[in-house]
Amino acid sequence: MSAQAPIIQVPQPKRRFGRSGEGSLKERLQGIAFAAPALVVLGLFVIYPAYYTIRLAFYNSDFLFNFTDFVGLDNFKDLLTNSPDFLDLSHFPPDGALINNLRWILIYIALCLLLGLGLAVLTIRVRYESLVKSFVFVPMAISATAVGVIWLLVYSPDPDIGTVNAVLHGVGHSSVSWLGQTSTVNYAIILAYVWASTGFAMVVLSAALKGIPTEIVEAARVDGAGEWNIFRRIMLPMLSLPISVVTVWLFINVIKVFDIIYVMTSGGPGTSSRVIAYTMFFDTFNGKPGRGAAVAVLMLILMIPVMILNVKRFRSERVVT
Amino acid sequence: MRKRSWLVALAVAILASALTATAGYGSKANPASKSAKKIEVLSLWGGSEKDAFLKVTAAFTKKTGIDVEYTTARDFVPVIRTRLAAGNPPDVAIVPRPGVLSDLAKQGAVKDLGKLGLTSSYLKARYGPAWIQLGSTGGKTYGVAAKANSKSVIWYRPDQFKKYGLKPAKTWPQLLAITRKLKSKGQTPWAAGAKDSWTLTDWFENVYVRTAGPDKYNKLFTGKLSFSDSTVKTAVKDMLMILNDKYLAGGVKGSLGTGFVDGIGRVFGSNAKAQLYMEGGFVAGIATQQVNTKLKPGKTINSFPWPTINPKFGSPLVGGGDLAAAFKDSSEVREFLKYISSPEAGNIWVSTGAIVSPNKQVKSGAYPNLLVRAEAKQVAGAKVFRFDGSDLMPGTLADDWGATLQDTLQKPGNVSKLLSDFQKKAAKEFG
Repeated sequence: MSAQAPIIQVPQPKRRFGRSGEGSLKERLQGIAFAAPALVVLGLFVIYPAYYTIRLAFYNSDFLFNFTDFVGLDNFKDLLTNSPDFLDLSHFPPDGALINNLRWILIYIALCLLLGLGLAVLTIRVRYESLVKSFVFVPMAISATAVGVIWLLVYSPDPDIGTVNAVLHGVGHSSVSWLGQTSTVNYAIILAYVWASTGFAMVVLSAALKGIPTEIVEAARVDGAGEWNIFRRIMLPMLSLPISVVTVWLFINVIKVFDIIYVMTSGGPGTSSRVIAYTMFFDTFNGKPGRGAAVAVLMLILMIPVMILNVKRFRSERVVT
Repeated sequence: MRKRSWLVALAVAILASALTATAGYGSKANPASKSAKKIEVLSLWGGSEKDAFLKVTAAFTKKTGIDVEYTTARDFVPVIRTRLAAGNPPDVAIVPRPGVLSDLAKQGAVKDLGKLGLTSSYLKARYGPAWIQLGSTGGKTYGVAAKANSKSVIWYRPDQFKKYGLKPAKTWPQLLAITRKLKSKGQTPWAAGAKDSWTLTDWFENVYVRTAGPDKYNKLFTGKLSFSDSTVKTAVKDMLMILNDKYLAGGVKGSLGTGFVDGIGRVFGSNAKAQLYMEGGFVAGIATQQVNTKLKPGKTINSFPWPTINPKFGSPLVGGGDLAAAFKDSSEVREFLKYISSPEAGNIWVSTGAIVSPNKQVKSGAYPNLLVRAEAKQVAGAKVFRFDGSDLMPGTLADDWGATLQDTLQKPGNVSKLLSDFQKKAAKEFG
């Protein structure tokens, strides 16, 4: 089959930059010369380390990250079947770092989008819009480490320190150790991170919202559409691309979330708030770089489909927010 | 067209100049750093412990003219491993875990001190055999004990004890009686900083060495005895007689949400809620210099040694030590190691009240207050001395063991299962 000429002519995508592929040799060389610095940097700092990590995942490396002792897929097998800290399917609901990341994906992305979109839609209607937006955006300017420290204080089980428990005490409830119990620790950290990233979702969506031509909205109003219908049938569809961009950004943020957990709980109590990136760090720097690399490869595998989807959307629409 | 080729030329020129610039930097960097007479020392101390150490390095600089650049790495192991892998280790690191040091020595990352001028006769004149052994692997010494501490200490408030008519406990039943009495008076007997899981491994070690004995302790932490052994279960259960919802400030959950220093604050802070705290001698410096500077040693803060549990085993001392190790060899490094192991440095260091020196030549008069003097006496006079077991464990085990103990606090009914799960990990690591 493959040797036969294709029957259907696949339309070639139109070239957007340059004139055509048939430039002179000199022009091609010039192109390469211009791209070369970027390619060198990419190769050195992205492609080579990625290759190194992927290769390392098949070894039981020593902690100088040498390729010693090839073990094939053992690191992956061990991670997925024999490490309750990473994935524990022995009981329901399942547990482990991978499942924690799933929690993060669902709750963190949903909350950031809902709050961001809600704030964007609502603030556009008020006069003190920029004030509200600045308040919500400020946490974006704080590093995740500092966010962790701030929320450590907010969640402190001592009501003289922790804001949340001070409020609980005020209404006659006893203290809750938000970070000291398995049942709340993950949600508590997720909320702190939502606080820190909602601003981004809001700003992007708010800018996109302003890009919607007022004629369309006004025309709809004239035609008798209610506010809800305008939101659902006009704004949401026109925001779909920025929403997907923000979602991808949030998704990548979740897969690589590490610093805030490191600062707030170091993965504890026990191992209950570990996530993929924390496991990667923990294994890599406690003498098991091969296993750590295997975790990194799993992270990459999780991210690739989302990135491909995103690139495809950009190609197909070429709408830049 | 002409314009383009001009641009290409420019790009090539920029690239070329960037490359030569970096190359030039590389070749010039080395001699410059040598002439500056400077070394980098890495350790995990921050806060008052760091201030105390900086006094020692300042005296060293004054004496030798060698600058010391001190780097704090709170999370010591990842930092040292990253820097080693990058080929950029510090000159000297003060390693908090003997287990880590022996890993590093086996991998050839640290220097044999005998070749740096710290011969065995030099060390023997200054340190007892146990301390030299602690820094040795395979017959060679890689680390010299810079500081020591007792971890068999219980901290209390003498003013409160007086108020309730209590006396420091000598036996485990007495300690439990004090706990119950404080509870019956409406007080919270204990605080713990269990968010930092190493505080729990210290709890366990003190109970274990007193219930199972020093020999089993050695076997357990070197992989020769299973963690699912009944003695381990007994010790965990004993420990949970105090570390539970009834007696801990904030209960188990509250303790698991409280770090080591905040835990001290719950007993000795300006708005204290609990009465007793278990951790090493270093609590003295942190409590009086960092947590609450109004504390008065002997009046509002004091300590007593860990009580005996099984009279047969008496009151063995569980202690820790930090070992200075060299990653590079230079005359500056040699001078620094000589200095840090000298009584001169020891006297300056202990006078800050932050540490106890394992150096035999440091005089007891150098200790500034009764809290550290008591600790120094305990360390010097211990009949049986055991090093912090979790610090001796290889790889990830120390952290995993801490996490397992955190789980036992949360699920006291599940101790057997948790211990056998941990044993599976331990079996893999000990090999």
